[in-house]
Amino acid sequence: MSHSRSLASIRGFLFCLCAAASASAQQQSDFYLREEIPLPKGEVMELGSIALMPDQKIAVTSRRGDLWICTGAYETDLSKVTWQKFAEGLHEPFGMFWKDGWLYLTQRPEVSRIKDSDGDGRADIFETINSDWSIKGDYHEYIFGSDPDKNGDIWAVLCLTGSFTADVPWRGWCVRITPQGEMIPTCSGIRSPGGIGFNAEGDVFYTDNQGVWNGSSSLKWLKPGSFQGNPSGNIFYDQAKNMGPRPVEPNDKSRILAERKRIKEFVPPAVILPHAKVGNSPTGIIPDLSGGKFGPWDKQVYVGEQTASEVQRVCLEKVNGLYQGAVFHFLSGFEAGIVPIRQAADGSVFIGGTNRGWASKGSKPFTFERVRWNGKTPFEIHTMSALKDGFELTFTEPVDPATAGKPESYAMDAWTYIYQAAYGSPEVDQATPKITAADVSADGKKVRLKIDGLVQGHVHHLEAKGVTSKSGGKLWHPEAWYTLNEIPR
Amino acid sequence: MIHRTLPILLALTAAASAQDGGQLYTTHCSACHAADGKGATGGQFPPLAGSPWVKGDPQRTIKLVLHGLTGPVEVAGRTYNLEMPPQGSVIPDDHLAAILTHVRASWENASSPVTADMVKVARAATADRKTPWTAPEILKLHPLPAVAPPIANLISSIYPGEWQDLPDFSKLKPINVEEEHDGLISITHADRNEQFGLVWEGEITAPKAGKFTFSLDADDCARVIVDGKKVAEVRGIGPLNGSRAKQGQIKLSAGRHPIRIEYVEFSGQEGIALAMKGPGIPGWRNLSDQPLPPERPSLMVTPTEERAVIYRNFLADTTPRAIGVGFPGGVNLAYSADNLAPELIWTGNFIDGGRHWIDRGQGNQPPAGEQVVKLSGSRALADTARFRGYKLDPAGNPTFSVQLGKQFVLDSWKPVGSEGSPAFLRTLTVNGQGSPVEFLISDKLPLKKAGDQDYELGDAIQLHAENAALESRDGKTYLKLAPGKPVTLTYRWK
Repeated sequence: MSHSRSLASIRGFLFCLCAAASASAQQQSDFYLREEIPLPKGEVMELGSIALMPDQKIAVTSRRGDLWICTGAYETDLSKVTWQKFAEGLHEPFGMFWKDGWLYLTQRPEVSRIKDSDGDGRADIFETINSDWSIKGDYHEYIFGSDPDKNGDIWAVLCLTGSFTADVPWRGWCVRITPQGEMIPTCSGIRSPGGIGFNAEGDVFYTDNQGVWNGSSSLKWLKPGSFQGNPSGNIFYDQAKNMGPRPVEPNDKSRILAERKRIKEFVPPAVILPHAKVGNSPTGIIPDLSGGKFGPWDKQVYVGEQTASEVQRVCLEKVNGLYQGAVFHFLSGFEAGIVPIRQAADGSVFIGGTNRGWASKGSKPFTFERVRWNGKTPFEIHTMSALKDGFELTFTEPVDPATAGKPESYAMDAWTYIYQAAYGSPEVDQATPKITAADVSADGKKVRLKIDGLVQGHVHHLEAKGVTSKSGGKLWHPEAWYTLNEIPR
Repeated sequence: MIHRTLPILLALTAAASAQDGGQLYTTHCSACHAADGKGATGGQFPPLAGSPWVKGDPQRTIKLVLHGLTGPVEVAGRTYNLEMPPQGSVIPDDHLAAILTHVRASWENASSPVTADMVKVARAATADRKTPWTAPEILKLHPLPAVAPPIANLISSIYPGEWQDLPDFSKLKPINVEEEHDGLISITHADRNEQFGLVWEGEITAPKAGKFTFSLDADDCARVIVDGKKVAEVRGIGPLNGSRAKQGQIKLSAGRHPIRIEYVEFSGQEGIALAMKGPGIPGWRNLSDQPLPPERPSLMVTPTEERAVIYRNFLADTTPRAIGVGFPGGVNLAYSADNLAPELIWTGNFIDGGRHWIDRGQGNQPPAGEQVVKLSGSRALADTARFRGYKLDPAGNPTFSVQLGKQFVLDSWKPVGSEGSPAFLRTLTVNGQGSPVEFLISDKLPLKKAGDQDYELGDAIQLHAENAALESRDGKTYLKLAPGKPVTLTYRWK
């Protein structure tokens, strides 16, 4: 264990030396322009949600409960943005969208919609759509709400009391709020969410944080009727007739793979975001629906990372009925811990950040930023997908077969986590799947890695540091972490 | 002798080299405690550099990391109230030993290494523990290392008297003088807790020459004098909660300097907190037994002259779905969207947002003003009723809406008082067809008839009711609301 670790750090050190020596090393500013959007002077704008409005206006909410509307956030010159305060006294909203003249909000105590009916520029109608869940009064009882799904329903995930217990109804659950104001219990097993959103197909995902029954943070698929892994909230099954009987209790100190064989409702995390290696606190989720206006990542998913102040990229696929896929490091250097994230139709990505109460790498207390793509494509692993005997990698440009065709250009290790009532887990059951062949496709865009020793249920960590593009460049981000819930048949 | 020490040396070397403590610290700890150990985001998180918490007996630190920490904790003179998640299930023994060895030997810290065996011992000793520690719990098991008395030759003098500000103590005679050997100023040694003054005199030590900052807070007033110069003072009557804390600076040469602290308690709560920082002192050095309150500035939420302001968060003495409204003219209410009625009304200042807007924002915030009246504390309408939000008029006055089947109960509030006579006008209306609705006005305050349409509601409120049928039953007051027939109630403080 210690031996492999020090080897890894030596390898990392050598890689740094190589990268420094090569003048052509790719960096974020070669492809993406990250800019801070000036905020209203003197205001504390710890952003919790961002909504796109007509006429290129953008609404944001703060943790203090203010709602401001920004004009000019799409313009080249961001120094000219203007702000108007639209509402105050909201209760920590984490979820907002605009629809038919209303701003819809998921606030701590309720899902509501607000509008300005007399045209003075300030909201005057605050309509409560649903508030059928309980709050004990603990600060950790956060709620994150989605945009409407194709039925118009808002999906909301409710954090446990103190992030540990389900003291009052529907803590630890995902509920849907219909346009008619009905609340439908939809999934159990939630611990401490950091964001909720859709993939390109419109399925709903949320991020859950490392803690009790979560060995690592992860991106999870909210399949209706599913159990997401934390049994604390299962006491409320008797109030959720639509959900069927209460699932079997999980065994402590087990493995997710073993327990999902016992608990038929258990949907495993789609993509584990390995703790400390990928991040510590995943947050907002958006699909890239810009049709390639933010780089060649159409239909992939972006996930915010609060502690690391990053935006990470996820490719998802469905294998044997379950979602799984890989996470890649992507955009970094944001000024505070990222919470909400939004993509506009022109491809621009807007992020909001705060690090109050939870520290982040970005050291400002709060931020509002925009990232635009300059049209240049980085050399990256675009997609990693599972094969019955390995993985297929798709690259953003043709690879050099001399490097990409060699198994030694890659390294793989794999592990899983203890599924347990204790807080978090070490990495356990380490394995070293062996890459026996790397076959480059005729167009140079794909490589099939043949691998001995894939382990179902494990995170498979790929390093492709030896791979170069046809033009000799190295990968911007040579690592991927693939969660192999299912091995294709 | 050689045979005995060699294996120990080897063991220590092995512990230090097998794991890279610095790298593991970066992975597991630096997000909050910062790479330089000073606490992330400019010290918003507890520092480890120079912290007594990581000195001395390593069992304290090991157990704390294994099981986490919840609630307020004082580090280097400042109180933090965050959450440290338990790491015992994440970090194996040898990794934790390496991390703590690194922490105890880095920055200004110079404590002995930690071995995997020590972690194993701590893990076994606390195997039954299921919840994070509180600071008092862990300190009871493993107190912080003893420190030299921060004020040398400290004596305290007590003066009985009724003062609302600092008197000229030089003209007064103490009734008692004591030596304080622990070198910490403390009012717990006083023989009383109402109407007295205390003066402490002693010597502080500046480890190095330079500029030193003194932070002082008191309930009620206090002054600190160093080298005969006034450095900071808190005047008048008020609480010790950070809102009136004062800081002052003075240049000191290295070595000892006379310090004098004067203090007055008028009545009610009492306390004094004093700390210093400067060259050679990591963080704050407490000079009092009471640490400085959290650096929580007062963030008063106030209406404008023309418009009411809303504050939604957890408020004391009502339910979690509280909606605070502060009106121009100094009247305020807290509506409970759980119980569907205002539960608190008060005058003066509205709400201090400091509790909820600093750090994670735990707890319930009480009203910032005076004359708080708890109108009610249980549901005003049937269980089937649903809160449906509120509308604001151009002055920000709210009309709360509750749905009861096909009927809506509208509950409007606006200020109608004059200076010196604060009052609310409440209008209750039931929209839609149907039978009359019975609405709970108060579940505790006794109602006493005082005139044709006038009542006394409890001790503090005169209630004037128009078009209203108020009824008292089992100590509760109800109002019958007929559809389409608005009722007005005026609440006036006596």
